[in-house]
Parts: sequence; C-alpha cells; structure tokens
Amino acid sequence: MSVIELDDVVKRYESGAQTVTALKGVDFHADRGEMVTIIGPSGSGKSTMLNMIGLLDTPTSGSVRLDDHDVTDFTEDELTEERRTNLGFVFQDFHLLPMLSAVENVELPSVWDTSVDRRDRAIDLLKRVGLGDRLDHTPDELSGGQQQRVAIARSLINEPDILLADEPTGNLDQDTGRTILEEVTRLKEEENIAVVAVTHDEQMLDYTDRTVRIVDGVIQS
Amino acid sequence: MSVADALWRFPSAMMAWRNLGRNRMRTALAALGIVIGVVAISSLGMAGVALQQQATSNLGSLTNQVSVSAGQDSDYDGVTEEQVEEIRSIITDAEVIPQKTNSTTVSSRGQEAYVSVTGVTDAAALYDVSRGTAPERLQTGALISNSTAQQLGLELGDPVEYDGHLYRIRGFIDSGSGFGPGGGRGELVVPISGLADQDHYDSVTIIADSGDAATETADTLEEHFNTDGRDEEEVLRVSSYASVQENIGSFLNTLQLALLGIGGISLVVASVAILNVMLMSTVERRGEIGVLRAVGIRRGEVLRMILTEATFLGTLGGLVGATCSLAVGAVMFQVVAGDPAGVLQWASARYLLYGFAFAVFASVLSGLYPAWKAANDSPVEALRG
Repeated sequence: MSVIELDDVVKRYESGAQTVTALKGVDFHADRGEMVTIIGPSGSGKSTMLNMIGLLDTPTSGSVRLDDHDVTDFTEDELTEERRTNLGFVFQDFHLLPMLSAVENVELPSVWDTSVDRRDRAIDLLKRVGLGDRLDHTPDELSGGQQQRVAIARSLINEPDILLADEPTGNLDQDTGRTILEEVTRLKEEENIAVVAVTHDEQMLDYTDRTVRIVDGVIQS
Repeated sequence: MSVADALWRFPSAMMAWRNLGRNRMRTALAALGIVIGVVAISSLGMAGVALQQQATSNLGSLTNQVSVSAGQDSDYDGVTEEQVEEIRSIITDAEVIPQKTNSTTVSSRGQEAYVSVTGVTDAAALYDVSRGTAPERLQTGALISNSTAQQLGLELGDPVEYDGHLYRIRGFIDSGSGFGPGGGRGELVVPISGLADQDHYDSVTIIADSGDAATETADTLEEHFNTDGRDEEEVLRVSSYASVQENIGSFLNTLQLALLGIGGISLVVASVAILNVMLMSTVERRGEIGVLRAVGIRRGEVLRMILTEATFLGTLGGLVGATCSLAVGAVMFQVVAGDPAGVLQWASARYLLYGFAFAVFASVLSGLYPAWKAANDSPVEALRG
C-alpha cells in the first residue's frame, strides 16, 4: 500500500492579476522502501509537488492521502502534527540551526514533545551516519557533507514514514553527494521508509528506484 | 546533567537563550535601551519620594498646629485674656498656648545678637531642645536658640538679660530646620511674666493631635469668632499649616506624575527598539523558522519561543536597570535627605519593582507582533527565505 498518494492534484496561484496553474491534475504515489526521484526543468512544478507531498501546502483541488488517510482538508495545526510524526525533511542548504550542537539539531523536531526523550536515538542516528565523534560540534565546525548527514539524522528522529529531500546533493561536490546518497539508500532500507527526492543531479538516478518526470505541471511518465 | 541539558527540557527558553546569544551586540544594545528606560522611570519615581519626604520633614510638627492672632476687625491689638478663655472652652481636646512676642538685642561678652523674644508658659509643648530642658511651666529660666548661643558663647546656666530681668538659660532650642514663626532668626524664650507690660497676647498656638484635627479646630474657631459673607468680619485671624502641607503634597504628587511620565516615555522608546530588534531578527531567521515549521514545530511553540526571547531581553534589561537605579537612588537620597538607606524603604523601593515590571511588560508587548508574524508565516514562503 502506498504511504503517500496524490490524486488528480491541481494547484493554482494568484500571481498579481494572473492565475498560474502549477500542477494540472497530478497523480503520484510512493511506497515504503522505495526511492522516487522527481525531475523536471525549473518552473515545471516539481517543488510545488514536493510541497504537496510534504504537507507544506494544500491543493486547490484533488486529494492527498497519507497512509490511506485523507489529509486534504486538514487544518494547519493538524498538518503540522502529521509532518512531525510522519515526515522527515532534508534541504539543499541543510538548514541546521547554527546555535545548536549536532545532537541538539537532530533532537530538535522532538524537543517540544516532552513526553519522549529522543536523546539516545539522536546519538544513535548520528553514529549511524558516521558522526559519532562530532556530537557536540556546531554546524560551522562541520563540512557541508557532515552538515547534510546531521540533517538526514534530524529528518529521521521521529521515525517517519517518508523522507522528503529537496536537492539533497545540490550544495555538495560529486564525491560527497555520492556518499550522502549511499547513506540515504542504506537508511531507507534500515528504516523501511519511502524517500521522495527532487533533483537536477544526474548521479542521483543511479540510486533511485523510480523516476517521475514533470513538465509544465503535468506528469510525463 | 549539565545546565544546558536541564534547559533543554524547556525548549522555548533554551532556543530563546541560544538565539539571544547569537548576536550578543544586538542583544546588549536592545537590553541597554530597556536599562535606560528602567533607570529613568525608577529614579524619577524615587526622586519624587525623596522630595516629598524632604518637604514633610521640613514642615515637621507645624502641620498639626493652628495659629491664632488678632484679626483686622478686632478692637484690640492682640488676643485678649477673655478670648483665650473662650478658645479654651471651645477647644477641649487640644493644647492652647498663648504667647507674647517682642524683639530685643541680647549681649554677652561684648557680642550682640538680635533675637525675637517669646513669652510663654508651656515651653515644653512648643519647643524641642537639643540640650537642657524645656519646662512645662516656665517660671524663671529662659530658652535660647542654638545659633544665638553659639554666636554669643553662652552655656547652660548663663544669665541673659531682657527688660531689666535676668534669666538663667535652661535649654537650647533646636533650630536647625523648620519654618514658621521665628524660624531662621535667633530666638529667646522667657516666662510670660517677662512681657507683663503687654496687655494682650500676640498669638495663640493650638496643638492638635493631627493635621486633620488641626484643620477641624481652625474651622471651628473661624466659625465661632468670625462671620462670612456680606458682613464679613475677622475678629481673629486663624491660620493652620495643614493646608500648606496638603498644597505642597498635591503639588509634589503632580510633579511625581510628570516625572514618571517622562520616565515612561523613555521606556516606550526602549520597547519600540525591542520591537525593531525582534522584527529584524525574525525576518533574518525567516528560513530557519520555516524549517522549524516544516519539521513539525507548532505555531504556538514558535510564538512562545520568540515571546520568551523578548521576555529575556526585558528581564535582563530590567534587572540591570533596577540595580543601576538602586545606586542612583542611594546617591539621590544622600543628596536630598542625607540618608542613602532611605532608598530601601518601600515608598521608594517600590519604584524599582514598578520599573522592572514595566520593562518586562513592555518587552513582552513589543515581542507580540514579531512572534505572531513569525508563527503565522506560511512554511513554504518562509523556506524560500
């Protein structure tokens, strides 16, 4: 069963006097243990699509199903809750908080929930991405590749079903990018999660199970 | 468990603290604005208290006194014996002390001093002495003001002459402060028999229990002896100092409000500065806040985090400001009242508390809009930076 599903999703924006249709009836699904890569030229709607999958934005029409639950009409607060418990995010710019140590950054999405103590899982995840000796380093003491590993560990702290990656290798050199992709592939299998990535990076296609091409708001294949 | 680990249990506080630490210069400058505001509001408030206390202590015991002298429509050049008896019969709950006054030159060891002379029986009720005694029934001795005694080199027991009689000095009048009859000039107090050649009393002092009682006494006498309206007639001039104190008190209250207002303006300016700093820092951190929202931090939690930052700024500035104000207040009380410890009494110390509370309140208020704005920003827009 698909863990995330878009069904005939349309997204329109009011941009000044014009109406821009970014997605024109998109169908999409991703399963556990699968890595799906969304590719397409800039302005094709792939970021909008990732925002829909990541529950950061809501469709104008169509439906979004998370783990077979319809979340299309969820309120902002309900969507926040779903993002926290079911989704992990990795960004092109890593987006770590500079005043927090590596382990604190990893723990961040869980700290406001005082019912759980994720410190041990945070340390464990950092060890699994090879940063067991960098727990107390702040982001400016880490290389780009190391920062992205911290971000990956952060995305997994709440044991999500889906990992969303927006150009995860975009700010890294080719070799570092490759090790990051190997890391993601390994964690995808260990944690049995779906990975949905948006990229321009050709080498990412070597690691992907399925590729979805979007042009002008329409899925091509 | 370290302090940081313990703080981590209060994520809003932890994040706020770390965020303030990121740009220490900006944090310090924002807090400095609050410090100045608190110092302004607290020390101006305390200045008002110091002035008020100074004024009250200068007026001293005069406020419960009523002074009676001959009015412009009196047939006599003073208060008559009969009138004094009449006053005594009306005013039963206060001391009535008739006095005769004159002035003369006292000389001793070649030095001369011009003094006012008061003839009185109950000297104890009217005068505080710094040395010696003020007898309740002054029959033979005399009292003399400190300054005159020093000027003439007089000691207790020395004789002074007035109107051909010699009096031994029994006490020195404490004349350091206060104004009213005889204030400022040297004073000689002799038994009333010493001024026996004057038929009438120049004035009658009535000492009531309190300022309010004095005002009441004055009204009673006014009503009894004088008439108002068209046939206005003033047989006795009745004056009480309670109204003077009331007037000064209300003036000082107005002054204090004005001073607090000025202090308040500076705190308003400071909170605008905080609003600006918080707004700037949330705009700068827009992407970061977008990440927080994306990874599932709720809007209320973002709001709380930024409000906590503002609260920390206000608390920090308020504490430093209150400490500085305490020092300023101590100096002020030293200068105005001569006692730096006066700043610690509740009447003035409460302005430290007000200043601090106002600082925290103003900071939270200025944090509200930036916090609300950051929390309600769309995560998609925020992530775009």
